[in-house]
Amino acid sequence: MDSAAASLDFAVIGHQDSWQNIERFVNSMRNAQQEKLSIEKIKASFSFIPPRDVFKVKVTSTSGAEINGVYIETFIDPDKLDASFARVNIGKVMQAAAWASKMSAGIVALGGFTSIVLEGNLDSFARYATKFTTGNTLTAAYIVKALEKAAQNRSIDIGKSKVLIIGATGDIGAACIQYLKSKAGKLLLCARNLQRLEKLAAALLQEQTTVQYAVSANELLPEADIIICVASSTGIQLTNCKKDVLICDAGYPKNLEDGIADSSVQLFHGGMGQVSGGYDFSPDYSKSIYHYASPYVIHGCILEAMILAFEKRVENYSSGKGNITVDKMEEIYSLGIKHGINPAPFYNANGLWQQ
Amino acid sequence: METLESPPMPIEVFNVLSDVFSQAVTGELIGMSNFASLAETIDDPHEKMEAVEHANSERLHAEGFLHYAKKTKLRMNINVHGPYWGNVRKQFLSYAAQKDFIACLIIQEVMLESFAVSMYTDVGNALGGEAGELFLNIAEEEKEHLAHSSGFLRDALKKDPAAFISRFEELHINCMTILGEFTATTDLKGHCGVCNGECMKESLHHIGLDVSTMRGNALALYAQALDNIGIPGEKSIVWIAQLPA
Repeated sequence: MDSAAASLDFAVIGHQDSWQNIERFVNSMRNAQQEKLSIEKIKASFSFIPPRDVFKVKVTSTSGAEINGVYIETFIDPDKLDASFARVNIGKVMQAAAWASKMSAGIVALGGFTSIVLEGNLDSFARYATKFTTGNTLTAAYIVKALEKAAQNRSIDIGKSKVLIIGATGDIGAACIQYLKSKAGKLLLCARNLQRLEKLAAALLQEQTTVQYAVSANELLPEADIIICVASSTGIQLTNCKKDVLICDAGYPKNLEDGIADSSVQLFHGGMGQVSGGYDFSPDYSKSIYHYASPYVIHGCILEAMILAFEKRVENYSSGKGNITVDKMEEIYSLGIKHGINPAPFYNANGLWQQ
Repeated sequence: METLESPPMPIEVFNVLSDVFSQAVTGELIGMSNFASLAETIDDPHEKMEAVEHANSERLHAEGFLHYAKKTKLRMNINVHGPYWGNVRKQFLSYAAQKDFIACLIIQEVMLESFAVSMYTDVGNALGGEAGELFLNIAEEEKEHLAHSSGFLRDALKKDPAAFISRFEELHINCMTILGEFTATTDLKGHCGVCNGECMKESLHHIGLDVSTMRGNALALYAQALDNIGIPGEKSIVWIAQLPA
């Protein structure tokens, strides 16, 4: 790795959210003459591989500035993202963090599931000169800003709407609540941990925010005009929603559509941004792991690190849990616009929304 | 004090243990021969003596395994000319003939030792007892060979990174492809010529092992060895992804 030790503006630590992605990714590394490996064969080895950088990333700002980074794959098994595998997965994230530090990355985004390590224990990262961010501030900003735009386009008055937040006690869910508490008609809160939910609801009630909460989304779904899902959406069934409900799927993986029976709902994949100046991967694995309805779309958490790198703000911008303020959401959002980094166009598994 | 005799082992365990020990002895004999050939490529007298010392260390490992096998009456089949072990040896000899010390070091001390250390550790942990301890002790000694090469190869990489990486890639293709075929869930190039009956991979569960985990752990250690030398991650991942499986 010493050979690649020239300092990097940023790094992204991430994981794949499906074996289908991994199959494309691994087979894209094989020669044309080599037999394609089946998912079963890939599964047998993939998660054994220690974290490492797998491609370089060059990002261009609309100002003309360029930054250079790398993507570090953790090789976390996408079927093992739940709490029972936390110890192994946290170990992989820490190995990836050490790798980023060894590559002298200025700022590192902990993408997707990997962010939980930084949400839970900032001290583990204190030993590194490299700075780390969960990227949750920009992800949350993109969720709420996109939601406001979608509501406006569809003549939905957020001030009169009941907004359901699934994953309300998480870092991104809490940030969305901070932003929406003075704008929404009523907040409907859903999270798995009742104790944390009660505490959150009590704090909001003290601020005169109208809230209702439940650990089961089913209890709140029939009332919701707008739904933000920032929890892992596996197993969530949106069967008894209002007709024409507006849904932002910002969970990991984004497969909320699988649980929707009614085709009249309006769902978009949230927390995503788009780089107007474009980005390049080298080697170019973009076709195997980044296939979106529009070019240069990328996760908000990753874009946060890129924006900080453009701004030369080497700091632990988003860390810990429940620390995201509306001011910081506005700040990172505005800094992004300065570099041509905006919320992604509305899309879902079927492609771009028809305007 | 009463001495209790161990109960006889089930036939399935006997068969797979016989194959495991046969593979271990064959591998050690390949290692011994490789280190002896490596000594031929070295001009520095101290390095030459060290290579012979390593060859002797592999001989002692083979003797250790043979001693246990004899004591427990395992059915040993040692064959250094089978399609996998024999081809690895041929690859090594082709570089030794060119007096390519770096190539020999990479094949023996990085590629073969990574797999040996990892697989001996897995076998040792699974077997426990005297046999387990034997495998674990030998794994510890093999680790020294792995560490021995890293510093030297790091320096070689720093001198000319592009040429070193290109050379390493050639060796990876020539040698690791054979190990990839050998450790695939099914023998991709037919029977190894060492297992007594059918391929032992199907029977590893009798001693608490499975080939996927053993191969995964070995690839992980190989990846770490590449990291220690300084091979960029974006290269090593492609090399590993291109291995037969």
